[in-house]
Amino acid sequence: MKPIYLQLSEWLETEILSGNITAGEKIYSQYQLAEMFNINPATAAKGLNILADEKILYKKRGLGMFVSPEAGEIILRKRREQVRARLRELVKEAELLDISESELITMITAARKRNKEERA
Amino acid sequence: MNVIECRGLSKRFGRTVALHDLSFSIKENTITGLVGPNGAGKTTLLKIAAGFLRKTAGEIKVFSSPPFNNLKVSANTFFVDDNMALPATLNLSETLDAARRFYPNWDHQLALRLFDYFSLNPRQLHKNLSKGMKSTFNMIVGLSARCALTIFDEPTVGMDAAVRKDFYRALLQDYLQHPRTIIFSSHLLKEIEDILEEVLLLREGQKRLHLPADQLREYAVGLRGEEDTVKRFTAGKEIYRREQFGKNSIFAAVRNSFTKTELQEACAAGLEVLPVSAEDLCIYLTSRSRGGIDDVFNRN
Repeated sequence: MKPIYLQLSEWLETEILSGNITAGEKIYSQYQLAEMFNINPATAAKGLNILADEKILYKKRGLGMFVSPEAGEIILRKRREQVRARLRELVKEAELLDISESELITMITAARKRNKEERA
Repeated sequence: MNVIECRGLSKRFGRTVALHDLSFSIKENTITGLVGPNGAGKTTLLKIAAGFLRKTAGEIKVFSSPPFNNLKVSANTFFVDDNMALPATLNLSETLDAARRFYPNWDHQLALRLFDYFSLNPRQLHKNLSKGMKSTFNMIVGLSARCALTIFDEPTVGMDAAVRKDFYRALLQDYLQHPRTIIFSSHLLKEIEDILEEVLLLREGQKRLHLPADQLREYAVGLRGEEDTVKRFTAGKEIYRREQFGKNSIFAAVRNSFTKTELQEACAAGLEVLPVSAEDLCIYLTSRSRGGIDDVFNRN
């Protein structure tokens, strides 16, 4: 299972991506996050610091952490890389099962179609 | 700043060694979970820290002073267990009033609100409470005292699951608003690990592990699959637990020093890579046999 501070930083990324917290806006403090998620504030701080290290958040001395202007871009780039990595694993599994490239592409197209129908 | 500092601390009761050469420190304003099997020395350690017991050898300092017979330590420490010496003639509400006069940071509003929430009867005597109600009352006193060092020694004995959950939440909330040093001994690591900052694991009176709580889950990893393959991947690693699984398969829990690539190779070789929970890790690290209870039943 994923460590809590990673779950937390991913949740914050999604909040930023979905526009619930915008660039320049102050993000939750470690204490607010501790209360929301019922976790130790030191763990919450770890989740925030990951995002600060990746320049998704920046610190203002004495004021807290804020969403950086490039946050959305950085998160998108990171998430795309994650999709690529998962895809590589998927391809490996498909090779193991002798699924051809065209068959795999057909599967992806079908999955996309189904998602679209479910959303509609 | 460290609130507790131990160096080579030992405690003997006659010929029994309860604590042996224990060294660690606890930082100010942290919540530490003290875990370990029955008889590991948790209560002894906590009672020495609170000044109830005298050490045998080594050094312990609480608020920079030896805790035994120390007024500063007593005034700033609250010790909650199921054996609290409360005046037998006072009812619960009178007990709260009495406790209020002892502790300068006492929050009477908090005490009354918790008292109400948990539906305690103010006219009742402590000795007539059920086990779970006693624990609930003790916990209320411990939280409301707001002592700089608050020690809970298995505070949830007898509490039902809902009350335990409320207690953990109340503890965290009050800690966020009034940070202080809290030590919490418990056998229910799974329930409390999220609110802990650190975990101190004891085994036979010695320190087995002292780590940030969120690192415990990543500390070990389990590999399950064909025996020879598991052996190949775990060669040279510290093995905490080995269990037979099916005919030719085994499960092995080892220190997680694998790289991501190594774990992927293990998967590719047909092994299952399983997380080891903090609770399981603590059980593995403190059990006497590497096979666990199954060793009793496998007599081959």
